[in-house]
Amino acid sequence: MTLRRLARLASLATLCLLPFAVYAEETLHLPAEASAGPMRPLVIHAALDLPQARPLLEDFHRRHPQIDLTYRNLTTLALHERFLERPDEADVMISSAMPWQFALANEGHARPLGGPILDAWPAWARWRDELVAFTFEPIVMVVHRDLAELAEPPRNHAELLALLNGHRQALAGRVASYDPVRSGAGYGYAMEESRLSPRYWDLVAALGAAEAELVETTGAMLDGLVEGRFLIGYNLLGSYAAPIVEANPQLELVIPDDYALVTQRLAFVPRRAPHPDTATLFVDYLLSVEGQRTLAERTSLGAIHPGLDGPGTAAELRGRLGDALRPPGLGPGLLAALDRLKRRALLARWQREFRRDPGDADSAAAPAAD
Amino acid sequence: MTLAGSLYGRLLAWLALPLLALGALLLLQAWFEARDTADRAYDRLLDAATLAIAEQVQWQDERLWLDLPPAALEMLASDAQERVFYTLVDQQGHYITGNARLPAHPGDDAASGDTLLYGDIEWHGMPLRQGVRRSRLEDWRSRERFEVRVAHTREGRDALRIELLRGNLAGILGMGALAVVTLLLAVRVALVPLTRLRHAIRARDPRTLASLDLALPRELAELREALNELLARMRRVRANQERFIGDASHQLRTPLAGISARAELALRRQSPDEWRAALETIHATSERTTRLAMQLLSLTRLDNPEYRPEHRPLDLNACVRQTVRDHWVTCHQAGVDLGADCAEGEVSVAGTDWQLAEALGNLVDNARRYGARHITLATRRAPPRLVVEDDGPGIPRERRLLVLRPFHRGRDDGEGSGLGLAIVDGIARNHGARLTLGEGEQGRGLRVELRFPEASP
Repeated sequence: MTLRRLARLASLATLCLLPFAVYAEETLHLPAEASAGPMRPLVIHAALDLPQARPLLEDFHRRHPQIDLTYRNLTTLALHERFLERPDEADVMISSAMPWQFALANEGHARPLGGPILDAWPAWARWRDELVAFTFEPIVMVVHRDLAELAEPPRNHAELLALLNGHRQALAGRVASYDPVRSGAGYGYAMEESRLSPRYWDLVAALGAAEAELVETTGAMLDGLVEGRFLIGYNLLGSYAAPIVEANPQLELVIPDDYALVTQRLAFVPRRAPHPDTATLFVDYLLSVEGQRTLAERTSLGAIHPGLDGPGTAAELRGRLGDALRPPGLGPGLLAALDRLKRRALLARWQREFRRDPGDADSAAAPAAD
Repeated sequence: MTLAGSLYGRLLAWLALPLLALGALLLLQAWFEARDTADRAYDRLLDAATLAIAEQVQWQDERLWLDLPPAALEMLASDAQERVFYTLVDQQGHYITGNARLPAHPGDDAASGDTLLYGDIEWHGMPLRQGVRRSRLEDWRSRERFEVRVAHTREGRDALRIELLRGNLAGILGMGALAVVTLLLAVRVALVPLTRLRHAIRARDPRTLASLDLALPRELAELREALNELLARMRRVRANQERFIGDASHQLRTPLAGISARAELALRRQSPDEWRAALETIHATSERTTRLAMQLLSLTRLDNPEYRPEHRPLDLNACVRQTVRDHWVTCHQAGVDLGADCAEGEVSVAGTDWQLAEALGNLVDNARRYGARHITLATRRAPPRLVVEDDGPGIPRERRLLVLRPFHRGRDDGEGSGLGLAIVDGIARNHGARLTLGEGEQGRGLRVELRFPEASP
């Protein structure tokens, strides 16, 4: 039991380094092999945890041993601010904060890439040949087996809403979700969901009525779920939840079958990148069949290469969930999330709905809710 | 084939140059039109986006507030994935929100309703198309004015413009090619009659002067008519020449035959007196023949259009006096009264003295031969004239033109050669003078007048 708990703690330690939270910089250095020819430096700044990134980086380095690879894992916020301070430091920028990545590219900070590999990449996963999405990570619910004592685990948002309304007392304080005020990712999901369905606000009200715990990271939610403090975690990053759920049989991962948000890591090569050639080489690798196969088989990020359809690919998820998957379009609509008035308006609404009197939750479900 | 040297080239150049200019004009117009059309089409996106944003502007917490609709930004980007920027500013131009601080538009407000302005701007090195909407809150608490500015990059516009232009270009080039082909064919076809005319002229027998009979378009028909007129004149000239040669050989043969017969007759005789008489006759005849030959020669020379003797200023009075001196003895012996009636001073014309002397001599000779008793040579001024008047039989009016022809004689007595008046006529033409034949003072005799042009000073 202690050993198992220790292992669990170890895995939690890695999850503590999730994006959207401020943690110390984490670096991986893969030195060039002297025998492989002249050294070619490559600096990658990313908001992508090392356990997920390492297989990719090592596979890439094995194929190009002459590259001296430096990988820095930062939070999305630190990544963004560091880039604005020193736009000529990184060769590749990778982040799951899609609006910020898009805003940088929109302002012309990204270098047009081109090339046959990019041309073959699906149009919905690239923008102007400057910005590419290379992962496909659904936003999921994680439920604890103990919930079965109360009710069937919810399969979708409607069932979750019914469950929350039906067992308000029993679930009080045992539901966890993102705090959109403190977490950038949580704000992003709230924005997406409010666009997708007006009933989202009922869900927020129900969460508030159930005194849901609002946390900053997927890791914190998983933490509470593993410990049994939480019965339901809503809006977890699937790629981080999947390995934990696999390791903990008392947990179950649910991808909602009515709609499921999808987040995608976006990569671009800065216009002032010091080593654009090696940077392009790396991006090409990320989009190549080899890179995407590594992504599918050795990480939980979700490959989107149209030629792959095994487990761990977007094609497999699509086959299972069909139209329910809602990847955010790679377009200027993303910029709305960064508008400061928009943010204040949305958060004000969110907090208002969250504090809404539980009694009027049902009446607010009427079409006039908005 | 140089352009200026060939009709084909000229026509082609003068038709192709305006065509080229027209084509260039069309291209230019297509270029601007494509730009305008593309801008008009895409400005509607700016219009719609600013409207979608403006509708979400509210008055909240004592300030302007915007709940930015993501769709407003999405509609600014087409398939070309333009970069998108937006700014909301208040009445004073203070930045409220936006992902860029887009510049203001210098345009004026519309008379009523929202003001919509478009403009091309350069922003951080990017050429952008900006749309500005000036609007005001329709709220009972506040009527605050505000301005929504949106902009996007030009990829979509450029793509549409290229597409439009390509369509137009294909049309213009197609029309141009068609026009050039038509032009080449038309010019070639139009010039075919010219080739036909050339072939017809080349194929002619060089000795024939028959007129050209060929169906031709109007412009070339005029050329053909001119050619035919020339040919007709040449035919007449040749007929004249042939008759003259016939007449001349006939005129020369008659005295020669006379000489031959006289000599043959004399050779049958033995008496030296008869020989002498024959020799005298032969001598007289051969002298006449010699004179005839000389007259023929001078007539030929006068008729030669290439022959242009150098005229000099001379005094007609001197000519007249000299002629009177030369012929006075002969006339006196024949009992003819030869007189001169000169104008006072000098009557000067440009002329050749020996020709004028010959003309006067011929006229005096003629008059004497045709039986005049009085011959008067006179000069007149203004215009300078030479007049020879006699009291001989004269020439009836209807024959006066005929006698100017060579070998035509007033009567057939074998005495004159019939060349005298023709020679005078030739000399007159040579001097630019007009020869008129008339009657003497009492309606008798012949009056010949040579009217010279006024001598140029």
